[in-house]
Amino acid sequence: MISLKDLSFSYLKPNGQPVTETPQLNRVNLEISQGEFVLVCGPTGSGKSTLLKALNGLAPSFTGGLLTGEIYIDGENLTGKEPHDFAHLVGYVNQQPEGFFVTDTVIDEIVYGSEQLGISVVEIEKRIKPIVEILKIEHLLTRPLSTLSGGEQQRVAIASALVAGQKVLLLDEPTSALDLTGATEVIKVLKSLVQSFGITVLLAEHRISRVIAEVDSVLVVHGDGSVTKGEPAKQFNDDRFAPPIIELGVKLGWKPLAIATEDAALLWSSSNRSFESKTIKTPALPIISTKELSVKYGELTAVAPTNLDFFGNQITAIMGENGSGKTSLCWAIQGLGHRSSGTVLLDGLDTSELAKTARLDLVAMIPQRASDLLFLHTLGEELHESDVFAEVEDGTTASLFQKLAGRIDPSIHPRDLSAGQQLAAVLSIQLAKQAKVLILDEPTRGLDYAAKRALAKQLQQLQSPERTIILATHDIEFIAEVADRVIRLESGKVVADTSPVEALSWPSPYASQIAQITRTPGLISIGQVSK
Amino acid sequence: MLGLAFAIAASIAVSPVTLLALSTLSMLFVLAFRDQSPWSKSVVFYIRLAGIVIAIRVLFRIIFNLEASPANPLLVLPELNLDLGNEVSLHLLGPISSASLLAALTDGLRLAAIILAIGMANSLANPMKLLKSTPGALYEIATAISIAINLAPQLISSLNRVRRARGLRGQSKGIKSLPGLVIPVLEDTIDQSMTLAASMSARGFGRKGSQSKGRLQLTRFIGLTGLFLIAVGVFLLILNPTNQVLDLVVTLSGLLSTVIYIKMSALGSLRTRYSVQKFRSGDYLLYAFAAALLLLSFSGVLTI
Repeated sequence: MISLKDLSFSYLKPNGQPVTETPQLNRVNLEISQGEFVLVCGPTGSGKSTLLKALNGLAPSFTGGLLTGEIYIDGENLTGKEPHDFAHLVGYVNQQPEGFFVTDTVIDEIVYGSEQLGISVVEIEKRIKPIVEILKIEHLLTRPLSTLSGGEQQRVAIASALVAGQKVLLLDEPTSALDLTGATEVIKVLKSLVQSFGITVLLAEHRISRVIAEVDSVLVVHGDGSVTKGEPAKQFNDDRFAPPIIELGVKLGWKPLAIATEDAALLWSSSNRSFESKTIKTPALPIISTKELSVKYGELTAVAPTNLDFFGNQITAIMGENGSGKTSLCWAIQGLGHRSSGTVLLDGLDTSELAKTARLDLVAMIPQRASDLLFLHTLGEELHESDVFAEVEDGTTASLFQKLAGRIDPSIHPRDLSAGQQLAAVLSIQLAKQAKVLILDEPTRGLDYAAKRALAKQLQQLQSPERTIILATHDIEFIAEVADRVIRLESGKVVADTSPVEALSWPSPYASQIAQITRTPGLISIGQVSK
Repeated sequence: MLGLAFAIAASIAVSPVTLLALSTLSMLFVLAFRDQSPWSKSVVFYIRLAGIVIAIRVLFRIIFNLEASPANPLLVLPELNLDLGNEVSLHLLGPISSASLLAALTDGLRLAAIILAIGMANSLANPMKLLKSTPGALYEIATAISIAINLAPQLISSLNRVRRARGLRGQSKGIKSLPGLVIPVLEDTIDQSMTLAASMSARGFGRKGSQSKGRLQLTRFIGLTGLFLIAVGVFLLILNPTNQVLDLVVTLSGLLSTVIYIKMSALGSLRTRYSVQKFRSGDYLLYAFAAALLLLSFSGVLTI
């Protein structure tokens, strides 16, 4: 179905020279057959997106850069064609469907592609039916797109990419913004598309733990320009993007590695099954407390009245599905956010009544898009500005940054840092004044496993009796790794407030992958397993 | 369309009562027909703008008082005479008659009514729907317009987000606050429009039909001429109602060439329409109302 011959791609500087010495993709030769479900993985920035975009003409048409080699899809030579010339063969879905929608109701969006391709109305009618059935969106057709949940939006995006009879579907991290339920739904749908229509699917993903057992093959974009394709179990020798299940197999020396949870569970039960109990930091004194804190937007209750103490030394994870009120709670605690009632006390003072600079000194918050906080031209300027603003000794922020992220050239533009490095920069800027409260809203979005491990280490370094860390996330694996306490929100209400071991152990519905494999109460993270 | 009718009627109407009625009516329409889309919220902005315009108009009349000494002053303010030399002097403030105030109020109301009419059109017409109901031939222009219109609310939402985020960091005095806001917002906006363009392209937008290049150019030329003629014709109709025959001829010939353009480009088009937006009975009523309003304003009823 897809065949690439000597495909190379480099991004170019304005002067026409390639940005890096080795091209993003270097002489890639690939064959993908019809009805194959392919997982595309690799570390952040390795070129996964570029590869997908090359397969529908968006690279180089919309990204710039130089593409050489040949692309054949369904026997057609599409080398050097514009994206609209690929449209009848290839459907494309990206991370955030809301930015990708062209119209505003579900049905308009679904037929948009078919209209552009000039497919007759009768034919469109005929094609819509089976697709909306398999994607389970029949009941949504007349709804405005903005009223759909993230998972529903993603399914509509898939439908609109396929209604015109496309044979190849490319998905660029379609589940990265979704919670567990939404992500699982999307993966299931993809599997059934492959099975019932013989559609070839290429799926680029960071969170591969739940996908890996479903796919036929794995394509690894290594980041040095090379791309390899093979069976799922044989592709993971690089731990930068290996999910916990692979990590566990490597740690225990399983050969071949298990990729399905059931297989891994069998292997685990025949191993010696030794593990250490999870180390939980003992709580120091409470640092910040909410009293009857609630957030309402009109009729909608985002956060029901809550009374919570957050203790020094501890990392508290606030987990919950999309829309459960995590972000509202974070902002309300920080003090800038909207509140309907209650107070948040820090050193006996309400955070919403603190003077601006006093609040910034005491409470550090990292919003969902950490890069919004970076606005200068070089990393060095950003770190220096932070010292000046915080009125601390020159170099304080820089040394904190180096502790977190290692040595990085200060003349680099902040936008050219990786997502993980940007996060480390924002962390060190926000903590230059040694804030007592650190709040992170969904910090692992867009990070690969290596970057997440780095972030986990950074947060553990920042733990101290004088500081409490609050983490809003739906990334269960990350919670299993770092949290000392787990608070679960459901439609704005605190429904559980427990230790991570209790929250994420087998057989909880929120069991981490390690817990699912080992089915051993008390064992939730890879770090606990002894060799 | 209705908004246009209101605006024209307002620009012709003289009496403040008529203007007030027009403004109220357009706001009533908004209340009756608006939905939950983000567009409907923009009406608040237009109402504020209209209020400010009236206030400024009246204030200016009070400050730059042109009447020398009115017969029955309503308000007597101390008069300021500024001698600008060359025997030109400027009177500021001074006594004001109720007639002069009323004239200012009417002027302000007229502008306000026009603004409200535009506001009504803006908050009722969703640009995405506009895109749907434009004829195929105008598709490219309509797409460009709807993307441009779409940028505004998106710009505001990312501005809000970045401002909120920037509040979390703060900045030292040496740093200008502008780049901190503008850079991420611009980046967002450009990203968004690139994403939208990429999405449209990836789904086949811009595939060429079977028309030859020369014919495409001819079609475009006819289309542009048509639009130009319509614009000139309408302009003349409003400004210069004396030579109505000529004005009508220009407008009609503009309309005619636009129709030719639409037919011509529809011939070679590849696109199909799944569901053309159907008129509901309410829409017909609105059009009828707009037409009646136009008729009234041209027949001179409103100038009484």
